[in-house]
Amino acid sequence: MFLQLALAAFVVAAASVTPLPDAPAPAAAETPPPCGSDHRVDQTLTNGARWQMCWEMRTIEGLTLSRVTYTPKGGVPVSVLRSAALAQIHVPYDSGEPRYHDIGSLGSAVIPLTDGDCPGGERRLDQVCVTTRPRGHAYLKDGFGDPGQRRSLQGRELVMLSAYQVGWYAYVAEFVFGDDGSITPRVGATGSLAGTTTSPEYGWPIGVGRKHFEESHSHNVFWRLDFDIQGKSRDVVEQYDFPGNKTKKRTLEKTVLTRETAARSRPTRWWRVVDPEVRNTDRHPVSWEINNTDTAQYRGPADERFTRADLYVTQYKACERLATYNAEPRCAESVDRYTDGEKVRDPVVWVNVGFHHVPRDEDADPMPVHWQGFRITPRDVTATNPYRAE
Amino acid sequence: MRRVVVLAAAGAGVSLLAGAAVLLTGDDAPQAARAVPSAPAPEDPLTPDEVRRAGTIASGPSSAQLKAGRVELLYVERDDDKSGDGRRARAYFYDYGDDTVIVRTVDLGRERIARETRGGGTQPPPSPREEIRAAELLLADKKLGKEVRRAYSKAAGRELRSAADLGLRGLVYTQPGGPCATHRCVRLFVRLPDGKFLDTSRLAIDLSAKKVHTLEW
Repeated sequence: MFLQLALAAFVVAAASVTPLPDAPAPAAAETPPPCGSDHRVDQTLTNGARWQMCWEMRTIEGLTLSRVTYTPKGGVPVSVLRSAALAQIHVPYDSGEPRYHDIGSLGSAVIPLTDGDCPGGERRLDQVCVTTRPRGHAYLKDGFGDPGQRRSLQGRELVMLSAYQVGWYAYVAEFVFGDDGSITPRVGATGSLAGTTTSPEYGWPIGVGRKHFEESHSHNVFWRLDFDIQGKSRDVVEQYDFPGNKTKKRTLEKTVLTRETAARSRPTRWWRVVDPEVRNTDRHPVSWEINNTDTAQYRGPADERFTRADLYVTQYKACERLATYNAEPRCAESVDRYTDGEKVRDPVVWVNVGFHHVPRDEDADPMPVHWQGFRITPRDVTATNPYRAE
Repeated sequence: MRRVVVLAAAGAGVSLLAGAAVLLTGDDAPQAARAVPSAPAPEDPLTPDEVRRAGTIASGPSSAQLKAGRVELLYVERDDDKSGDGRRARAYFYDYGDDTVIVRTVDLGRERIARETRGGGTQPPPSPREEIRAAELLLADKKLGKEVRRAYSKAAGRELRSAADLGLRGLVYTQPGGPCATHRCVRLFVRLPDGKFLDTSRLAIDLSAKKVHTLEW
């Protein structure tokens, strides 16, 4: 209802902005939910943040979330993602071969979940675990001797978890939604190592002595995120840098990515998707920030140009689904080819997070999970600390 | 053994899907087992009935080729194009006659094909039937087939009866320049009963040419 009001207001006064009001709009007929109860998640975390979304287990991408909406404590709903899913797990081995594309080359790979996989949560059709868990301190502020002024809060998060079997590997994939408005997509690789031997320059001895050298390899995980902040119009992606190497000063430098872009990570670089017309009560535009600094930045050969950037921004096209092995006729096949300079009116963000796995003795069966992922954090969605009611 | 049954029952992709729909409406399928199915909401996955109907409608123009084994129905997905409206499904086919992919978008409300796209140079993942076919080609290879049988009997303590005994998954494989640039090729993961995987990483099974390529690197 708020959204309708906001859109109506926008149509009437195109030059004006759409403020996020202080409190929910007065009672109005709720629009019917976009998905049925089996596929709907509506979780209010103990600190007041509410996350709503739909999920679907698709044959190729696996768990796909849609219509992700965040309502801060005491605030109004803000739609964030129209859809989010894995878009590739590219696994090149260090000797040069084999080079697997785990998504798009394989049909449905979902592993049925057990209660043990979903502590304290709810298994949906045995495919998805919906659960909440502690995430450590939300904040801590000392009272400087005055116990009455001491502030401390434990945070919680909502987890949407699924698992996939790809050959000897099992992948555990999570989308984590924090009570601070953050979203953390991550993939954990577990199951078993390949078990094939290689020469010492490409591996690590994991058997007794120096006989079995297990081959090192990369897992380059791609996510596709279709951000629609309060609808698909007006969203813009900005890139922020803070140049000033070996000097005292760091200056803020903003680059608006008006055209499709292949961008690389840098230590202080981040991006944000912003709707300049949707404002918080401080009149600052609402945005979500994307950080991808925890990547091994794998760069492959000329026929794997899709590995040569860490974040892509493309104009929404329904047929552009996977980062590689995109099996849609009359459509480009990989994300580097989607990125051809087109003007971006409705951005889709592709995030590439690499992890280089050098096997070790501890990776013996069943191999302990190693994680890789990135963080999406709200920037000016609320005008103040999200744990305080607005 | 289950796969053999499915294979025997599936003269065409459509029957395979119908079979899957029957399985899904069994006692242990909570959503499908409801007596009166409620209409799906816009973002809900396709119901087993919608998958079956979409498969049947989309197969119409290819029914003869499906029967002849020239065309394979791979899978049916919900069309989640955000600019679209109404319930739509997309059915993916592979045409071995000219090595092209056909995608037919089915309007489930009007029960008709709304759109068809066709093109080469792209490969969706193999269907379960194609995985079995790839394994049969591997077993039919004189030298490699013998090796697979030997590895299987060593791991299982009995002879291999058919490809369905192997713990199979197929990954589509493309390679610029080689035959797998245009043909439909599959790489297999083969899990033996003792939990070990066969090293099949150098093998690409060409379903279009019906032969096994050994990759050189």
